[in-house]
Amino acid sequence: MNDMLTRDELLRRAALGAGLLSMPGLLAACGGGNGGSGGKRELAKTMRFSNWTYYMDVDEKTKKWLTLEAFKKEFGVDVKYTEDVDSNSQFFGKIQGPLSRDQSIDRDLIVLTDNERFLATVIDKGWAEKLDKDAIPNIENLVDVQRHPGFDPDREYSLPWCSGMTGIAYNTKLTKQPVTSMEQLLEDKALKGKVAILNSFADTLGLVILENGDDPGKITDDSFSRALDRVQAAQDAGQFRGITGNSYTGPLASGDLLACVGWSGDIEQLHLDNPDLTWVIPKAGGMIWTDNVLIPKGGDAYTASVFMNYIYDPEVAAKLYGHIHYISPVKGSREALIKIDPETANNELFFPTEKTLSQVHLVDPAALKNQSYNEQWQAVLGV
Amino acid sequence: MRFVRRHLLTVYAILAFAYLLIPIGLVVLFSFNNPAGRFNYTWQGFTLDHWRNWDGVPGLREAMTLSLEIAFLASILATVLGTLIALALVRYGFRGRGATNLLIFLPMATPEIVLGASLLTLFINVTTVFPLGFRTILIAHIMFCISYVVVTVKARLVGFDRSLEEAAMDLGANEWVTFRKVTLPLIAPAILAGALLSFALSIDDFVITYFNSGSEITFPLFVWGQARVGAPPQVNVMGTLIFVVALSLMVLNVLLQRRRESQVRA
Amino acid sequence: MGFFHRHRGLTPYLLLAPGLAWLAVFFLVPLGFLAYQSLQSGNFDVGYSFDWAWGNYWDALERYHEQLTRSVVYAGLATVFALLISYPLAYWIAFRGGRWKNLLLVMIIAPFFVTYLIRTLAWQTILADEGPVVGIFRDVGILGDGGRLLATSTAVVAGITYNFLPFMALPLYVSLEAIDHRLIEAAEDLYASRLQAFLRVTLPLSLPGVVAGTLLTFIPAAGDFINAELLGTPKQAMIGNVIQSKFLELTDYPSAASLSFTLMAVILVLIAIYARVIGTEKLTG
Repeated sequence: MNDMLTRDELLRRAALGAGLLSMPGLLAACGGGNGGSGGKRELAKTMRFSNWTYYMDVDEKTKKWLTLEAFKKEFGVDVKYTEDVDSNSQFFGKIQGPLSRDQSIDRDLIVLTDNERFLATVIDKGWAEKLDKDAIPNIENLVDVQRHPGFDPDREYSLPWCSGMTGIAYNTKLTKQPVTSMEQLLEDKALKGKVAILNSFADTLGLVILENGDDPGKITDDSFSRALDRVQAAQDAGQFRGITGNSYTGPLASGDLLACVGWSGDIEQLHLDNPDLTWVIPKAGGMIWTDNVLIPKGGDAYTASVFMNYIYDPEVAAKLYGHIHYISPVKGSREALIKIDPETANNELFFPTEKTLSQVHLVDPAALKNQSYNEQWQAVLGV
Repeated sequence: MRFVRRHLLTVYAILAFAYLLIPIGLVVLFSFNNPAGRFNYTWQGFTLDHWRNWDGVPGLREAMTLSLEIAFLASILATVLGTLIALALVRYGFRGRGATNLLIFLPMATPEIVLGASLLTLFINVTTVFPLGFRTILIAHIMFCISYVVVTVKARLVGFDRSLEEAAMDLGANEWVTFRKVTLPLIAPAILAGALLSFALSIDDFVITYFNSGSEITFPLFVWGQARVGAPPQVNVMGTLIFVVALSLMVLNVLLQRRRESQVRA
Repeated sequence: MGFFHRHRGLTPYLLLAPGLAWLAVFFLVPLGFLAYQSLQSGNFDVGYSFDWAWGNYWDALERYHEQLTRSVVYAGLATVFALLISYPLAYWIAFRGGRWKNLLLVMIIAPFFVTYLIRTLAWQTILADEGPVVGIFRDVGILGDGGRLLATSTAVVAGITYNFLPFMALPLYVSLEAIDHRLIEAAEDLYASRLQAFLRVTLPLSLPGVVAGTLLTFIPAAGDFINAELLGTPKQAMIGNVIQSKFLELTDYPSAASLSFTLMAVILVLIAIYARVIGTEKLTG
């Protein structure tokens, strides 16, 4: 018997029931050093997790990460949590050096977004450890739409952490009429000079491609050029106040921007201080992006997998996603949350219905890797 | 006429300081804001909550502590190394002067992102000596601060009147004593200025630090991660605290000096 | 100390050794690697190989001369403005600061305690289109109706100026503080007006500080990218932004490296011209 699990903990876990640890998982955890699927199957004492900001529930009074504390109580693993991912390209720029030289980056879990090329690149280059699927029976709770993404068709290396949607944010008071289409954003003279778009091409061009009637899930040279030209034309006409990263929130809040391409999570927060700000999915459709966890080479795959299994329990997920207000990839988390916090559970932005989800699209991962597309887009950004 | 001119300069100086400190004023003001969401853009109402709970954001205090430690160490070491170089450059003829000057200017001219990434490449090739973290951040900071100290101290040394030193030596002082008792006090303001510049550079650096920090988080790294999606008012509180503490220390310094001087006079 | 007397020839080398050694290991070695990278070709997917790709440099100049020029112009303007703002300030601290000098110097670097991003965001709030500052400018006529300060080249240059003020002010102070007041008194005793005394005595004696401040401001400002990113539009993109894009977004490391060296070469050429104009002794001591 693995000395990591005391008898009490075993009993407690059995009592929780409902798929938290199925028999195979239990046996595997007891396996210790003798066999399993070859690699180490002991829980490490610490796990190092690098994530984006605001992606973990925190108790301000005690400064503790609630979900991580609960995990520690149950499994005895101390999670060293750092919020040092603030941009996919920048984080990738930092880790590609060591990873390309077969060095560990001293992390067990990292999080990258699926609407930029870097997530796929890490997987393609073989810089990610395989998930220990035997330790993640809760993977069954993964929502169907996330089961076979283009960059990781069999979910061998990655699992979604949370999702968000890209649409149009606008100021209901200052705009004469609701801004509900990219056509308005790009071509309505009334908004000239007070509009911004995002500097990530999956977000911005994705929306324009939808507006053009094309499919952002299968981008061709034609559909790309059509969208790019449309954006360039708007730029030349002086329609944009800027092409921004996250920094659109300030000008939007102050009224310098009347409308812009923005993320649902941000606007929901801005709305709390300024009720005039609202977010909509454009009539032609919006985009959805997902932040995925990966185990970088050298990370402890088993411990990380056990952690992800813990997260994918609907009860745990309900508490986590109910707190951080991003879209949960775990089936049943909405139902679990309704019992504790019905208001949040019924909020379309955090727990979108099937109808809403049908209006948002994933970007074509192949397009993200296309160097020519990236260069053309960077040229629009003036570089 | 003289009266007007005297005041013109003072008024100008006050305006210049106001210009420098207006953004700080805003930062201080918003540390008392009470936003409903996680963005701190719109004034919602006055509250002392974030001051009472100044330590409520996990990692913020540790990040600031780390930044201060590194800034102090880096500025002291960079100032020492840079001052030595400045002395050599101004006072001695030697082979390789031009090359040395070039070597001083180059780090300032190198874009931070490629410098940070290339330095990382060096470190990861020798990870046993340079484990990524405190050590590598400190090394990087000293590296990019040296040039600024050299140029600043040189500005003082170039026009320095050697006759005082010569007089001291004529009176029997050897080189080391002359340096300690005559030269050093006279160039002290330049050394202090160099140290202040280094401190400012170090405590504010983002790009080079980001690449070479491993999993350590300094204050700028912490803030950049947060501010882009909504920094909590505690960040403002922290910035205000440091500013106030620094000013208080300086005021204390002045008051102590005044006491010492009045004691000497008495 | 007899050691230094006897080994006078060694002294400069001993003084230089620690600092230069530090720079040699932690700057020159990385720079060497960067130079190596700049001559590579290939792409990220298949990998890069070293093959003396001088074409990278030619490409850099050809495609990005606009951003290069713009960077030099913005940095130059910011340096001039910083000088105009900082000189009287440094003068006041040096001549009128008295025992408060050090406190005032700390206040000059105080903005750095709140990080680049926060103070730039603060300026975004202050200079908002419907804010008080822009309002005044519009009323007074400096800005047209519906004009704005943010998202313009003015904002970018103003941002660079603001962020590099201490780098101009502190060296200026260093020179000004060292001026012997008796020299100025002597000039005035000899019937010079205050203005003449300033122009003939103070200004020339403060030139080393001016030179130092100019260098410490212009050189890093030319490579700046953050002000253009936060306060500007694609039309204000500087070479620093191009290098960021090449390195981070396009993972095109040879381009980023060759662009960096191109920028450094441009800066060095400009410094050489500057040295020629003002006289090399002021520059190199």
